[in-house]
Amino acid sequence: MDKKKFKILMIVDIVLIIGIFSLMMVLKGQYNDQAQKTVKEQVDAYLELSNGAVQDQWKAVDQYGMAWRLVYASLTSAKTEAAFDAAVKAIEGDRDARFKQLSYMYEAAGIPPQAQNSIYEKAGLADKFLLKNEGGVKEVACGKNCVISFTFAKGKLKSSDYSALANYNMADHFKLEAPAAYHFE
Amino acid sequence: MNVKNISIALTVLVIALLATLLMQKGSYVSQATEHYTKTTTNSYKGASKIIEYVNNSIDVNKGVWSLACEVIQNVKTSQDQARLESKYFPSTKGSMSIANMTRRFEATGAYYIVSKFSKVEVDKKTEVKSLAGLVSVNVNALVGNPGEEIAEEEEGEEGAEEAVEEAPAPKKAAKPAKAAKGKKGKKGKKR
Repeated sequence: MDKKKFKILMIVDIVLIIGIFSLMMVLKGQYNDQAQKTVKEQVDAYLELSNGAVQDQWKAVDQYGMAWRLVYASLTSAKTEAAFDAAVKAIEGDRDARFKQLSYMYEAAGIPPQAQNSIYEKAGLADKFLLKNEGGVKEVACGKNCVISFTFAKGKLKSSDYSALANYNMADHFKLEAPAAYHFE
Repeated sequence: MNVKNISIALTVLVIALLATLLMQKGSYVSQATEHYTKTTTNSYKGASKIIEYVNNSIDVNKGVWSLACEVIQNVKTSQDQARLESKYFPSTKGSMSIANMTRRFEATGAYYIVSKFSKVEVDKKTEVKSLAGLVSVNVNALVGNPGEEIAEEEEGEEGAEEAVEEAPAPKKAAKPAKAAKGKKGKKGKKR
């Protein structure tokens, strides 16, 4: 090649270098923003899922604990509707006792108090216990997808069915999926 | 000649820059993936452990509650309770204190119940002692108040229920139990 062609090549090269360099700078900013944004979105979504599962379980265990207390109370105290209603109210209303029972179960499971407190701060306690009260049938929550029932006639406890609680398998309701692969879109 | 060298060098530089440009995205993806994987894996491990440990703990707790509820409904004697214990927890046996007239079933250190009976019965043929007349079932350890349990038996001789129920009991009356000290259990945690 002659000198002239090399000169042209040099000019083209310089233009290309400037162009590519500028493009790199622009893309650098874009990739950086995109990476930060997508990582944040996907991490937040997963944390919400995993923390949500832990918090849901906490509330379900609260319902579970209350339900056993209620069943036990129904077996050991007067078998009347009034006594039952009072027991429901007393059990649900005593938030300190609920926390104590919950915390005891978590401690027995080896979950340290700091972890319990951080779950409690986000989740609080279960907000539902007595689910239904119609025609002498009272249904009580005993965990996620767990309901036990008590039937009353003329103010007396006629029958109770707590088989759902006795057979409640928490592992069927609380499982955490592993995080999906990261997508950089 | 000089122009030739410079243009060749610049061409090499262009190629190098193009290669860098193509790899630039990969580098960001790899950094982002690393950060994402590290954060989510930590969260997954921590949350899964909590969920799994609580599930397992609840499984035992459920067995003890079921036992307590069935005991309060159907049990009259310590033998009745022993049968129920083996139904719910085939590999764990309760222990009995003739002196205190209690039978304690402990599934784990945290989850246990103590049944109180009203009398001691002695089999005339075998002289085996057992308890009868269930009075109450203490479930304090299930509701998180293990410190409030009833007087605890400390007599070593009733380590296993069958030691009393099946083996011939000593001729003399059961030794008076030491007044069990109301030892304090764990304090409830503060929020």
